[in-house]
Amino acid sequence: MTLPRFDVLVPETVEQACSLLAEHGGGARVLAGGTDLLVDLKRPIVQERLIEAGGGDPGRFTTLGDGEPGAIDPWGSGDPPPDVLISLHKLAGLKRIEVLDDGRLRVGALATAREIQRVPEIRDRWTALAEGADSLGSPLVRARGTIGGNICNARPAADITVPAICLGAQLELQSPDGSRTLPGEQFILAPGVTVIEPAEILTAVTFPALSARTGSAYYKLGQRKALEISVVGVAVYVELAGDDTVQAACVTLGAVGPTPLAARSAAEVLAGGKPTGELLARAARAAAADATPIDDHRGTAEYRRLMVEMLTRRTLELAVERAGGRS
Amino acid sequence: MSNDYRILNTRAPRVDAVDKATGRAQYTDDLSRPNMLYGAILHSPLAHARILDIDTSRAERLPGVVAVVTWRDAGTEPYGVSPARYDETIFCHDRVRYVGDEIAAVAATDPDTAHEAVRRIKVDFEPLPLVLDGRHAMDDGQPQLHEQYENNICAQVHWRFGDVEQGRREASVIRTDTISSKMQDAAFMEPQAVLAEVDAQRNLTMFSSTQAPHYVQRTLAMALNHPLHKVRVVKPAMGGGFGPKASCSTAELATCLLALKTGRPVKFTFDREQVFLHSRARHQFLHTMTTGVRDDGTLAFLEHECILDGGAYASFGIATVYYAGSLLGGPYRLKNMNYDGYRVVTNKPACGAQRGHGAVIARALFEIQLDRIAEELEMDPIELRLKNVMDAGETTCNELFVSSFGMREALEAVRDSAAWKKKRALAGQTRAEGKGIGAACGFFVSGAAYPIYRSKTYHCTVVTKVDEVGGGVVVQSGAADIGQGSDTMLAMITAEELGVSLDDVRVQAGDSSLSVDLGSYSSRTTLMTGAAARDAARDVKRRILSAVAGRIDVPPETLDLKDGCVISLADPIDFSALRDEYLKEHVGFSDLPDSPKLSFREASRIAFLEIGAVVGTGEYRPPKLGGSFKGAAVGTSPAFGCSAQVAEVSVDLETGEVTVDRITGAHDCGFAINRTQVEGQMHGSMMMGMGEALMEQVIYDEHGRILNRNLAEYKIPTSLDMPQLDALIVESNEPHGPYGAKEVGEGAIMPVIPSILNAIHDATGVRINELPVTPERIVRALRRKSVCAK
Repeated sequence: MTLPRFDVLVPETVEQACSLLAEHGGGARVLAGGTDLLVDLKRPIVQERLIEAGGGDPGRFTTLGDGEPGAIDPWGSGDPPPDVLISLHKLAGLKRIEVLDDGRLRVGALATAREIQRVPEIRDRWTALAEGADSLGSPLVRARGTIGGNICNARPAADITVPAICLGAQLELQSPDGSRTLPGEQFILAPGVTVIEPAEILTAVTFPALSARTGSAYYKLGQRKALEISVVGVAVYVELAGDDTVQAACVTLGAVGPTPLAARSAAEVLAGGKPTGELLARAARAAAADATPIDDHRGTAEYRRLMVEMLTRRTLELAVERAGGRS
Repeated sequence: MSNDYRILNTRAPRVDAVDKATGRAQYTDDLSRPNMLYGAILHSPLAHARILDIDTSRAERLPGVVAVVTWRDAGTEPYGVSPARYDETIFCHDRVRYVGDEIAAVAATDPDTAHEAVRRIKVDFEPLPLVLDGRHAMDDGQPQLHEQYENNICAQVHWRFGDVEQGRREASVIRTDTISSKMQDAAFMEPQAVLAEVDAQRNLTMFSSTQAPHYVQRTLAMALNHPLHKVRVVKPAMGGGFGPKASCSTAELATCLLALKTGRPVKFTFDREQVFLHSRARHQFLHTMTTGVRDDGTLAFLEHECILDGGAYASFGIATVYYAGSLLGGPYRLKNMNYDGYRVVTNKPACGAQRGHGAVIARALFEIQLDRIAEELEMDPIELRLKNVMDAGETTCNELFVSSFGMREALEAVRDSAAWKKKRALAGQTRAEGKGIGAACGFFVSGAAYPIYRSKTYHCTVVTKVDEVGGGVVVQSGAADIGQGSDTMLAMITAEELGVSLDDVRVQAGDSSLSVDLGSYSSRTTLMTGAAARDAARDVKRRILSAVAGRIDVPPETLDLKDGCVISLADPIDFSALRDEYLKEHVGFSDLPDSPKLSFREASRIAFLEIGAVVGTGEYRPPKLGGSFKGAAVGTSPAFGCSAQVAEVSVDLETGEVTVDRITGAHDCGFAINRTQVEGQMHGSMMMGMGEALMEQVIYDEHGRILNRNLAEYKIPTSLDMPQLDALIVESNEPHGPYGAKEVGEGAIMPVIPSILNAIHDATGVRINELPVTPERIVRALRRKSVCAK
């Protein structure tokens, strides 16, 4: 694996960053923690494109690294590498984490997983987000990887993104034309693909204020206890009413679809019901039905669907307990 | 245990500890030379194809490219590990056989240019049908990889020991089980790296991250057609090997070829991806075993068949297929054993040796069988094992003689230390759901008794020399410290023998120009090179003491070296004449000896003044061992290590996640030269075996490409996955080893996989016969069981 050559530009303000992005168009990528980006940029050693040989002989292939029209590319080398990385590391304002006066939580896009892990209010109230940060990579990755990078990289298994969407994240995006706010669940379209505009930067993630009787949880299932890409991730959020019925609930699934997936029928099952074991089990079955997993080398679709059910039930039990614990 | 050693059997810090901890240690990739070039290799992107044409012209035209080499430069003479199976060429010329097979190499002024040049090499391929499934590689009609391997069989073994049919008649419980594993990677920290340079006399020196400088030296000379005495292989500091670095690699051959062609130093370092592509790591094993025992639990027979998927080339694979059978000869009394082994070739990277060479998965299945048989006999699994373990002085049915054997002691030690009886008794009663405990044993060689090439060569020589100025001792050895600590072992033995401190011994090792040493494989270095180092030190000691004795006119046998001084075993001696002589030589020095005893520094100086250079030598060659049947050499060893282990696990019965809670292992290393290092090898084995049991597998797609060719997706245990490890050292005093020492480096891994698998069965009631035992496989097995129960 070798890194291609690129320039690194270091803007001092968000405005500068946006205009640099506008200037370089599709040839630029935004560098935050770099824990995904730099790995993605590395070129595999064995990646020669195979090109069908000329002369009407379809059974023959030629290796040629730099490609030619009509080439077939079984290695899927993907997009051309960027010429420019725009590093955000000088934008200190984007690191800020604060609980706003109205009770909302605002996390700057450059806040690292480690910083998120260590905020007592997040651990206490937006627990699923803290647990997502806990389960990301390793201490080294958590020290560099940011919430903004985790969301913009748009991977279906992303450990911060899945709980963030579950907790109702609103994304603040800034561009040379101004700023806009978008619900987290509308942001990711496909693996690696988001609605972000070419000159737009994610600056902050805001979470709604929580009533006293809410609880959330995130569970990551993998083969080992760190440095793991989820086989399944489940984030749940539950808010209880005065009569202990479920006032609001959300179940978000990781690694069982092309994007983090809202298990809407699970939320519908929960709404208004008493959070009994039976109800939670029914919601878990609904979540499993909502999942759209595939077979890959990390696990089969069948196992993943089964695990969605198991883990949804467990995380719901935990979230309900956490919600009840504050009543 | 108490003994009179000053340094041996202690926890002396490693001689390289400070350098490694501070970053001062120089690994191969840290080395640099003026005017140095950088190498890169073109690997095949196809798993099986005919090469129609190779066009390097666009690469050669790239500015900064100094040389491009292909088979036209390297020739097409085959080489390999075993002389009976030379089946590789440095570069492919007519055919590629796996994704990663090497086609060409480039030397350029910087790494980026070298990579770019590789991308400009044009190769025309005609794809050929693939053989990817080792189970079916031997079937009729399968594509053939090599002309010389009929039905893709690279090697086969058919052994008949004792009388299995008689054993079958005597057996009251007979069962047949299977297991399959996946190809694995050794996941050493340091990828292979090479720096090659050539001097004006065409002396080729190669620095390389290798386990076996001597074999690599021979292979380089043979494959490059360069005089053997003009090839020197040096091993700098090294970050692990575990087997895959025991054979000569294309990286080494290509880099040396480029250095010879350009006359300039060339460096080449594998990317992690290339470590996976090159592999030479653990084979895929498909074992079927039928084991019978009598009603009293005595083993009656074993009938064993194995297919080894070895990838595209032979590498160490012939030894692997023999080891897979031979090492089941112990540690239990087993009179009747049949073995049929087939090592097949497929379009995947070649497999070779890896810690516990050939025997790890066979051991796993056999130990699982013992557990299942114990269950049928309603016997405690450890009791069943204790009933069958061999004792020192016995010979296995395949003629392996065990001269020391702490198997019984090891098994009892783990049983008691892990409170086995108490915990087993809880099974099915008050024990928490998903908790389980399992045990297993292991058996391994302590140094292969025969070299890879047919020869009566000494397996190692050691030259120990005392500084002419007096005081310092240099140990010169070809032995390769690959991280296991052999340099420290050599220093400790030398310091012990000469009565000096560890700080006064300098080890120069891992260099083929210093001595012959067959290398760090088959767990041989402590027993063999340790014996040679002991003898070299004793030789030096004899020379020093006779020189001193001559000067003071006493019999040499009345003198000894101890605590840095010459001591008299008879009457007190007046050394003042010698002292005066030493002091006169050192006018103006401040650290002069002033005790009444004659220091080692003075004594060794006097010896030099009397006899000139004070050099001692030692060498080791095993006695003739083993039977006369075909393949009897593989598995023979001057000594055998044995081990026992108890694993405790918690299994999440819904998700299948396994947490290993505790591992208690005992290993009979004969005598611990360094107790901390013995424990380190045991801990490392536990970690490696745990990874192999639970998570490690190289995953291929239908084109023969590795999907997880990096350490993010090839899972090995992290520190968070590791349980409490209790390493218990058993010392049985091996008569053929120096000070009673024998192996620990590989034997300690043997019981790890089966003890964990037996514990998982205890926890879940299900058996999984496909490794690794992933959470998904456990959940599937649990669901099958619950469906069957309904």
